[in-house]
Amino acid sequence: MSCSEALRTQACFDGQLDALSAAAVERHVEGCVECQTLLQDLAQTREQVRRDLGHVRAPTDVRERILMGLAPAPKVRRALWRSSAFWIGVGSGIGCALASALVAVVLLAPWYEGLPLDALVTDHVDSLLPGHLTAVESTDRHTVKPWFAGRADVSPLVEDFAQEGYLLIGGRVDYLENQRAAVLVYRHGQHIINVFALRAQPVAPRHDTTRSGYHIACWRAGDLQYCAVSDAGWDELHGLARLVRERAARDASPQTPER
Amino acid sequence: MDARRERFEAQALPHLDAAYRFALGLTRSRADADDLLQDAMLRAYRAIETLRGDNPRSWLLTIVRNCYFSARASARARAIAPWPEGTDEDPLESLVEPSPNPEATSVQEEQQRAVGRSLSRLSLEHREVLILREIEELSYREIAAVTQLPIGTVMSRLTRARAAFRAQWLADQSEEGA
Repeated sequence: MSCSEALRTQACFDGQLDALSAAAVERHVEGCVECQTLLQDLAQTREQVRRDLGHVRAPTDVRERILMGLAPAPKVRRALWRSSAFWIGVGSGIGCALASALVAVVLLAPWYEGLPLDALVTDHVDSLLPGHLTAVESTDRHTVKPWFAGRADVSPLVEDFAQEGYLLIGGRVDYLENQRAAVLVYRHGQHIINVFALRAQPVAPRHDTTRSGYHIACWRAGDLQYCAVSDAGWDELHGLARLVRERAARDASPQTPER
Repeated sequence: MDARRERFEAQALPHLDAAYRFALGLTRSRADADDLLQDAMLRAYRAIETLRGDNPRSWLLTIVRNCYFSARASARARAIAPWPEGTDEDPLESLVEPSPNPEATSVQEEQQRAVGRSLSRLSLEHREVLILREIEELSYREIAAVTQLPIGTVMSRLTRARAAFRAQWLADQSEEGA
């Protein structure tokens, strides 16, 4: 059935030919029954494909959730407060949060005995791309800690351990499954260490592991689950884990006066 | 002043509907498309400085596609461990590809409602070029960029995808009539 010019006829139908070639194809089609049929079929197929999907729009609640998930720009946020769409978004946002919490409990519980380890590594690797590492750049915990408020689901321990060789260079928020995890970024020598803080899951977490050549050290502090990911060695990762743990334990103890 | 957000809203957000349609076409499920879209838009937001040139739509669709494949890869990796031994069936494939087994029927029905029956029954390779060409009206060159295929392959795949769709559609029509 296929004419040797069929591919060119298709390209002409798709508007991918220059005027001269298109004119040549049109001349050819005039005398070619196969290509005439082909053009009719192409038009009918296009119409049917469009009928299947062409008029679909992104649901409003998804759009609102996406906008709300981004780090808010103060200027835009002021404008948003006044719009009714924002409040609809808030309503649906809460609804969606409840729904996804339910989904998380029902669906994710079985494999959450581990952690989204592959996602952690993917995130770590992504973060090393230019411009992805930090959303707030600061070595000052008093800048980084409040930055997480309202952006991440958790408020992790934020501490610079520059004296111990782990320089806090900033933080960002990453979606990990259904959570907005707080991520602290440390530099240790040539290595970048991402420390993810998530809500701890009821099932005991897996401990240290290696994925795609990246070490992942996991530990808990209170109701938070921490995971440090890096291409640094185990000793370096454990060094940072120990520091964060000790500091968190000191923070949690009410007897200890504030430093 | 948040330059990133402004740029995102000016250049990426106008193509949200296109991204959603593509996500639906890839996943064939509304719930999965919602997740994929959210994932992709967040990535687009974080990577807005990688958007160069004047084709934000292709750029965004490329991100949607990459997110889809990386989510699929990690779902596959997760699925490997708990899958019982002694079966070589890929648990993900049985979800994604239409199969005659009764458990998949409800998934299949949901897929069909989400994107239309004939389209949902095509292979992933065929669905994606069809959507990019017929719905989003990308040029061959743009499709080649999004799918990372040579233009010649785009053209031949498009021919096969259209033929497959047409055959499926005709089959569905006669099934309906029967």
